[in-house]
Amino acid sequence: MGRLAGTCGIQINVRRFTMVHHDLRSFLKVLEDEGQLVRIKEEVNPEPDIAAAGRAAANMKNGPAVYFEKVKSYKNPVVTNVHGSWANHALMMGMDKTASTKEQFHELNRRWDLYPVEPKVLSRAEAKCKENEITENINLFDILSLYRINDQDGGCFLSKASIITGDPEYPDDFDKINVGTYRVQVKDKDRVGIQALAFHDIAVQLEKAEAEGKGLPICITLGNDPLTTFMASTPIAYNQSEYKFVGALNNGVPAEIVKSDLYEHLYVPAHCEVVLEGEIISRRRTVEGPFGEFPGSYSGCRLQCEIQIKKVTHRTNPIFENLYLGIPWTEIDFLMALNTSVPQYKMLKEAMPEVQAVNAMYTHGIGTIVSTRCRYGGYAKGVAFRLLSTPHGMPYTKVVIIVDEFVDPFNLEQVMWAITTRVKPSKDVVVIPNCPGMPLDPSSNPAGMHDKLIIDATTPVSPEPNPREIQLLTPPVGHEKWEELIRSLMK
Amino acid sequence: MTCPRCNHDDIKTIAKSPEGDAWEMYACQKCWYSWRSTETPQILDKFMLDDAKIAAMQIIPPVPPLKK
Repeated sequence: MGRLAGTCGIQINVRRFTMVHHDLRSFLKVLEDEGQLVRIKEEVNPEPDIAAAGRAAANMKNGPAVYFEKVKSYKNPVVTNVHGSWANHALMMGMDKTASTKEQFHELNRRWDLYPVEPKVLSRAEAKCKENEITENINLFDILSLYRINDQDGGCFLSKASIITGDPEYPDDFDKINVGTYRVQVKDKDRVGIQALAFHDIAVQLEKAEAEGKGLPICITLGNDPLTTFMASTPIAYNQSEYKFVGALNNGVPAEIVKSDLYEHLYVPAHCEVVLEGEIISRRRTVEGPFGEFPGSYSGCRLQCEIQIKKVTHRTNPIFENLYLGIPWTEIDFLMALNTSVPQYKMLKEAMPEVQAVNAMYTHGIGTIVSTRCRYGGYAKGVAFRLLSTPHGMPYTKVVIIVDEFVDPFNLEQVMWAITTRVKPSKDVVVIPNCPGMPLDPSSNPAGMHDKLIIDATTPVSPEPNPREIQLLTPPVGHEKWEELIRSLMK
Repeated sequence: MTCPRCNHDDIKTIAKSPEGDAWEMYACQKCWYSWRSTETPQILDKFMLDDAKIAAMQIIPPVPPLKK
């Protein structure tokens, strides 16, 4: 606890703690203690209750996680909306639940630089995910309380799995292990489909295996500690390790992992609820989908990969953690918000130190707002070009808004102020046709191609003329102190 | 029983409710649509499937040529 003495003699308490969550269960306890988890004790139907509650919790400001103790005729509990609010997101980081989005952005950005933090490899006996094992007659329905999420989905989907694969060409290179999140459709009691889009790391690894006529070993993990799930949804370089980032984001406390049972080169989070070990079947594609996707609409059916599950390990009474996704914002948006923004910020900042912050939270960065100081006339357009040529920006980013350094890109009222007072469309709005686009964006046609839109909402700087130069209103002296005082009086 | 999505007649019961006799889970062995016995699938026209549609589907990711 720190104390900040105000000049008027009032002491203001600054609560600061870093709590590390090594598994989902300890995080759920923290959420419950902080009033951010509700428990449903009555029996619910798998459809439509679990998804309906997920939608409802996402509609609420600071919506809680929803824990279902009993799902009709299933054995095990379900939890949804675990990451689905800024309060829960702050608690994931071990911050106060009232921390603002911008505060969380800067804290995440600071911890990012602690990379790499070597994970701790536990013995099999120490890993809670190995409490139980199933090697034959695998039936996913016995272990997981599976349900359909959106009514036109092609079946029961896993929407929050952290999926581990390795590079067949470099099986001993730990950093090339990929931990990613991909949708998984349950097709049989021990066989599932997976969507591995060509530009994702898992597809790079799969291509190498399939070119040799081999399958790709895979571990599907469910019910992870919240930062592992967060990192699985984070775009990082191919040679970077998600596990080493988990340690960084835990403020230097190493992630705890354990070797998979079937595959020497693969490591799974040591205390997750369920591990499904198996193999992507080589050179096989079957009908998969539809599935309600993050842009708020169904993707159609495609011919996608299948996985044969060969072994399951799990904690006793495993909790099935799954997320609802619908028209934004729902839980999935929180898993693509600051972890898309911080890597983009770092990339821009390398060449352009004037960049202050990046808000790439809208539909996985398809809409992005960047705050920057403009060093010379036209600088904002340069920042936009740089953003649109980053590895993530190229396929995803479509609408780019650049604002001045004193505008908070996470404060949409300020952003709208900038657009309404600092944009002369004839010079500040540019459309660039025939660029890469995101196929899941329904306005991309043909799918994968798009136009880019740049809105320069910055104040003109020399040598651009500024014939209507104005004097901005500055906040009165002492306003930060007053904000802290008023907040503390409202508690 | 036929598939509510593609009309195929090879349907497998892939699971029964772990507790009690509350439901069964069915899966079409052609288009892999699955549904619970307690559901009444109402599949939109645009998502209905037939052989022509399946044959025209995009393959994701592409299957690479086999190395010699």
